[in-house]
Amino acid sequence: MIVESASRRRVRTVLAVAVVALFVFPLYYWTTTAFKDAREIFNIPPNVWTFDPTLKNFEEVFGISLGFLRQQEVLPGGGNFYMAPRLWDSIVVALGSTALAIAISVLAAYALSRMDFRGRHAFVGWVLSTRMMPPVAVAIPMFFIYKDIGLMDSYLGIILMHTLINLPLGVLLLKSFFDDIPKEIDESALIDGASRFLVFRRVILPMAKGGIAATAVLCFIFSWTEFIFVLTLTQTGLKTVPVVSSSFVTSTGTAWGNMAALGVAAMVPAFLFILLVQKQLVRGLTLGSLKQ
Amino acid sequence: MATVAYRNIVKSYGAVRVMEDLSLDIADGEFAVLLGPSGCGKTTLLRMTAGLETVTGGDLLIDGARMNEVHPRDRDIAMVFQNYALYPTMPVWENIGFSLEVRKLPKAEIRKKVEAAAAVLNLTDYLDRYPRELSGGQRQRVAMGRAMVREAKVFLFDEPLSNLDAKLRAQMRMEIRQLHDRLETTTIYVTHDQIEAMTMADKIVLMKGGRIEQVGTPDDLFDAPASLYAADFIGTPAINLIEGAVVDGAFKSAGIHLPLPPGTAATAGQRVTAGLRPSDMTLGAAGSITGRVVLAEKTGVEQNVHLDIGGADFVVTAPRDVSVRPDETVQADIPPQKIHLFDSASGARL
Repeated sequence: MIVESASRRRVRTVLAVAVVALFVFPLYYWTTTAFKDAREIFNIPPNVWTFDPTLKNFEEVFGISLGFLRQQEVLPGGGNFYMAPRLWDSIVVALGSTALAIAISVLAAYALSRMDFRGRHAFVGWVLSTRMMPPVAVAIPMFFIYKDIGLMDSYLGIILMHTLINLPLGVLLLKSFFDDIPKEIDESALIDGASRFLVFRRVILPMAKGGIAATAVLCFIFSWTEFIFVLTLTQTGLKTVPVVSSSFVTSTGTAWGNMAALGVAAMVPAFLFILLVQKQLVRGLTLGSLKQ
Repeated sequence: MATVAYRNIVKSYGAVRVMEDLSLDIADGEFAVLLGPSGCGKTTLLRMTAGLETVTGGDLLIDGARMNEVHPRDRDIAMVFQNYALYPTMPVWENIGFSLEVRKLPKAEIRKKVEAAAAVLNLTDYLDRYPRELSGGQRQRVAMGRAMVREAKVFLFDEPLSNLDAKLRAQMRMEIRQLHDRLETTTIYVTHDQIEAMTMADKIVLMKGGRIEQVGTPDDLFDAPASLYAADFIGTPAINLIEGAVVDGAFKSAGIHLPLPPGTAATAGQRVTAGLRPSDMTLGAAGSITGRVVLAEKTGVEQNVHLDIGGADFVVTAPRDVSVRPDETVQADIPPQKIHLFDSASGARL
């Protein structure tokens, strides 16, 4: 352990707390906004620590009152504030595209890490280059393509789109995780009589769980927050949370409380997902940094 | 059990040829050690035997059958890697039994074989542990257990002891050799450590730059090195090499005058190098070599006395009770039949 003077340690603690506060405060303010009445949100001075908590925003956004789901409501100003199905859309799209992206990229990454074929390095570069294109440049052509092939406004369409965008990240990240696993382990299993696929499934895949979890979290978060493709490639069939958040901006004003309620609710699935893979995630993020 | 034969093996990486026309026979049940410095091709040869590297040219035969294009899993070999290559997500018993599980043996039989191997290797109490919970020596044993349960035709070891400390290495050396004596499986063992080669091998294959320098028993290599390189590689402390010439039927160099070994092919005037093993020499009141004592290193059993002879370092192994003082002038001697003579230009034994 590195020896440190008491004063130095104090300064470090204060700085650490300040940095954490800087990051946590907006989250806190946004969360409390979700529980505030519309009139209280813009109070001067702002009610940061004390306010009358209310579930009204959540009731309006999720149509929950006295524990029952209400019918969809159209509120004054024309805004459609009933967002429970939109949250469901987000979950389906994010989980679906993450699962698909991981399933494909885990196989591709293993092949790129282990198999020697002509143009392997160029292939890795090409995979990365697809990520360099600005999404907005792809969105319009994709709109026409989706319209023609009938993927417009469908879960499958958005899941495929998010998968495509996540693939380069998934392949490259997972490849680096596989690269960290000594090749001798594959070779040992091959000599033990296993086929290449069995080596992958029984030996290498369990070792890469941490890396897969870390990659899955990044894919999930991307899909969860993606805006431009959902905006372009959907009409009424589905809309994810980032896109419908804009519907709180109505002709009669912005429903900040409702927007915050949806935002807070939208944090929960992402948070749960990360919590679920957290044990693997920490291993994944530190994999290779220490000698095993 | 099987024979392994290499016939005119060639290995290239792109345009770079690392092995040229290598031929070697390993007999059934033999413990052959491939010895040489880093980059001499010993691991490449082992990996070609395992099927982990392609053979560019020539034939690799196991039990007479050509193996060049056979998949590693179909060669019926077992291999222990330098870093053990254990499966970290499987407990010890699963590590050992993996090859049997892959071959779809009944569970009860797998258990029986794993337990038998574990008993031999003193791993019975560790069967439920994971590799990360084991010491280096235990991991080494698991790797050996994995090879043992296979009952493979050939065992391949790729520098398996290089990650262990000196004491454990000595112990594992003995254990591996004892295991071989018990199983009598043909074994090819790669190492750069000549002590390992000398203590374990039935046959040492000394390699240099992708070709074989000498093949023989440990005694052959020690007593009759075929070249300067072989003489210099084998033996601790290293052999004393002195450059000189054959003059008047004797070897002459600055401060050294030695009779020629009997039956030597050296001719008058030829530039030669004499190799004198420290352990073949004696210190005494009279001798053909005169030198000044620089240092006496005690090894416990004996001492290595370093002499300065015309500016060159010269080592003589002496009993530890022989008393020498720094800067003292001493005489050393060697029986003529223990002198190794090599042609200085080609390095070949004369």
